[in-house]
Amino acid sequence: MIVLLVLLAAGGGFYGLHQNGGEASLRTTEELDPSIYYDNANSLRGNTYKIDAEIDSALGNSPTKGRLFSVVLKKQTQSGAPVVLPVLVPPTLGGLTIQKGQHYLMKVKVVEEGLLKVEEARKP
Amino acid sequence: MRNRYHFYQPGFVLVAIASCAPLFGQVPNAKTIHETGQQYKEGNALTSFGDNSAIGSQAMFEASLKAKKNIVDMKPNTFLSLWNNPGFAIQFEKYLSAPAETSEDAKLYRQRMERIMELLSPGNATKQNQDEAFNLLPKASDFESDANNCTTIHDAVYAAANARLQIQKLTEVDRILETKLSAAQYNQLHAAQSLTLSAIAPGKNDVKDNDENQAELRTAKLDPSKSNVATLKQTIQRNQAQIASAEVQAKFAMQSLILQFFVQRRYQHVIIIDRFYRALFDDGDQSLEGFQQMADKMGYNKAAGAVKLIADANPKGATAVGSGNNRRGGAGASAGAGPNGTDASVGNNNNNNDNGMDASAISGSGLHMGVENLSVESAENAFVTGMKGASRTFKSLSQLDAFANEVIRDVNEGVKVYKFLLEKSEIESAASQLASVFTKGEYLPSVRLLTQDEKRKTLAYAQLCNRLVNAANSGNIDALFDVVTKMKAMNPSFDDAEILAKLQGVKTASSLLVAQAKVAASKGDLQSVQTQITRAAALWPNNPEVTSFSADMSKLGNVARPEVQALTDFDQLDSQHNYRQIFDDKEKYIAALAMDDSNRKSERQEKLRKVLSRMQEIETSIMRSQEIARRGDYAGAWEGLDVTFSQYPDDQKLSQLRADLTTQAPDFVHDIRQAKSDEEKKEYGSSLAWYLRSQSRYPMSDLSKQGIQRIVRLIMPDAS
Repeated sequence: MIVLLVLLAAGGGFYGLHQNGGEASLRTTEELDPSIYYDNANSLRGNTYKIDAEIDSALGNSPTKGRLFSVVLKKQTQSGAPVVLPVLVPPTLGGLTIQKGQHYLMKVKVVEEGLLKVEEARKP
Repeated sequence: MRNRYHFYQPGFVLVAIASCAPLFGQVPNAKTIHETGQQYKEGNALTSFGDNSAIGSQAMFEASLKAKKNIVDMKPNTFLSLWNNPGFAIQFEKYLSAPAETSEDAKLYRQRMERIMELLSPGNATKQNQDEAFNLLPKASDFESDANNCTTIHDAVYAAANARLQIQKLTEVDRILETKLSAAQYNQLHAAQSLTLSAIAPGKNDVKDNDENQAELRTAKLDPSKSNVATLKQTIQRNQAQIASAEVQAKFAMQSLILQFFVQRRYQHVIIIDRFYRALFDDGDQSLEGFQQMADKMGYNKAAGAVKLIADANPKGATAVGSGNNRRGGAGASAGAGPNGTDASVGNNNNNNDNGMDASAISGSGLHMGVENLSVESAENAFVTGMKGASRTFKSLSQLDAFANEVIRDVNEGVKVYKFLLEKSEIESAASQLASVFTKGEYLPSVRLLTQDEKRKTLAYAQLCNRLVNAANSGNIDALFDVVTKMKAMNPSFDDAEILAKLQGVKTASSLLVAQAKVAASKGDLQSVQTQITRAAALWPNNPEVTSFSADMSKLGNVARPEVQALTDFDQLDSQHNYRQIFDDKEKYIAALAMDDSNRKSERQEKLRKVLSRMQEIETSIMRSQEIARRGDYAGAWEGLDVTFSQYPDDQKLSQLRADLTTQAPDFVHDIRQAKSDEEKKEYGSSLAWYLRSQSRYPMSDLSKQGIQRIVRLIMPDAS
């Protein structure tokens, strides 16, 4: 019985740790400042950010490059205008089901040509 | 040198300048007469009537066409003045182009001439040498350059020698006759003294008859001896007359030949025949007075101009002298000229019983040299003048001999000087020197032996001189200026100041006429315009002011024809890409093109069609955008114009409206421009973000939609 309790406790602890670790990785990632991105995306190249966005539309689908979506950030600009950004979901995240209107927390990396490449995404 | 046209005289130049002085003085702002004319044209009239008349009179004066023709009728250069004589120019250029006479034949000829002169030289002219020289004459004449002159000498010497022989024979006959005469006179005297007649009459009444019989008897006995004496005297006198006549004729023939050679500048031949003369006749310093008398009677035709030669210009000369104191008949001399030549004769009457007489006769027949070269300046008259001049200048043959030798020396020295000057590149002096030696001794060996290389520079200079004269005569002052420039380059010492001054004068005159034409144009006097501009062009055909004035007048003429002006404007606007202006006045250009009768009509029509099509598209776009803007859709209005603007960025109206709409939808325009900018920089991620942003601002934006599609294809070429 004691052993069972210990195993349950260990299993619950691992799950809890695992769950807290994913959140922790997004939690520690800096949020993308859209104004800086618009002004000079090149200066952000190589950096990783998190965005909280809603899927707007699918722009394209390439078997080699992945899927390209436009997303609308949940956080609006100071003027109240929506911020729409393109994100590339690589084939490695092909199992991720993405549809218009879905809400995602995404970890994106600014790659070449100023593209935002999704490294991790989960629903909040 | 001629200076017939007082236009060139300094006094007239001063007058011309003085006449212009008040003109310039009254128009202080006008520095040139051209500017003065401009002021007229612009309606800024001068202050007095004298201004206009000053321009006119000056222009009239300067415009004399004779002025330019005689631009070289002055004396800037000795050589150039020589070149003004066409006859000389042709002969001299031929000489300059001819090769040196260095052939074996020419060398042999010179050797023979020198040998002849050596054999006849003073102290060397023995009978044997004279014979050798005489025999060399026909051989020397074998050569073309001798022109058979040595044969002429040979014949003259032969004729003179024959005359001498005849004289000797007659002299011998006279000596014998004198002896016979003495004997006859003695016999006559002896017969008279020894005559015995009956002195007593037979009766008192027979005295008269007896005297008559004695007289007849005396006459009968003495008459044969008297007749013999008279006959001898007459024969001797006739022989003496023949001796005198033959000697005079022989001397005259040779003297005339000597002078002829002298005039022909055949100085070697002068010396040769002169020395033969001295050998034949012992009166070497014989006066040439008799020849002078003949020469004075030689014909000179004043009507013979530069190229004319009158047929009756044959020289005729004859002279005769005679004396006699006989009462009946007697001796006399006569001379005459007829259609076949001249003649002179001496004779006496057989009835002359008194003392003898002196007689001499000279015939000038055959002295006409037959020079009938009609292509050069009256060679005939030149010859006659030369003969007269020579006969007056030289009083004896020794003078001629000395002068010929001096000329030969002078020419030889001149050739050396020519070579020296040529070496020093003093081409003007060298050319003048060569022309001088050519004139004096064209046939002398030193002149004939100059090589083509030695004459080449002079030939080039001479040809330039020839071109200068031709250019001056043609009136093309630009060509003249070109030649003068080349002459100056070839010969820095060439005095071009006077020619250039004259050229400037002609140019000024032409400009004055243009100014006058402008004045007339300002007053609408088209006839005067035509007159003045024609004269200006005649003076200086390439005058740039004439050209520009003509162009201006053409433009003025086009103003009077709107369709021509419209076509000109169309071409100009098209070249400036000012299609808007063409579109705004399209009715005018359509009409003008319809009347266009030039070969550019189809080209212009095609251009106009394209312009109208383009403007139609622009105008449609503008109208559409304005309509959209009226609905408050500024972004849509701007976007519609921007598409058209990208095709026709040079349309001002389109550009202006697009700029106005930019201020109405600044954020959208900003997003689109940023997107395009990043797209050009291949920052496709950023560009896509900007297009998405502009689309979010204006979802109907075609530019945004097209931009997004374009960028996606660039990022994902294999996107589905």
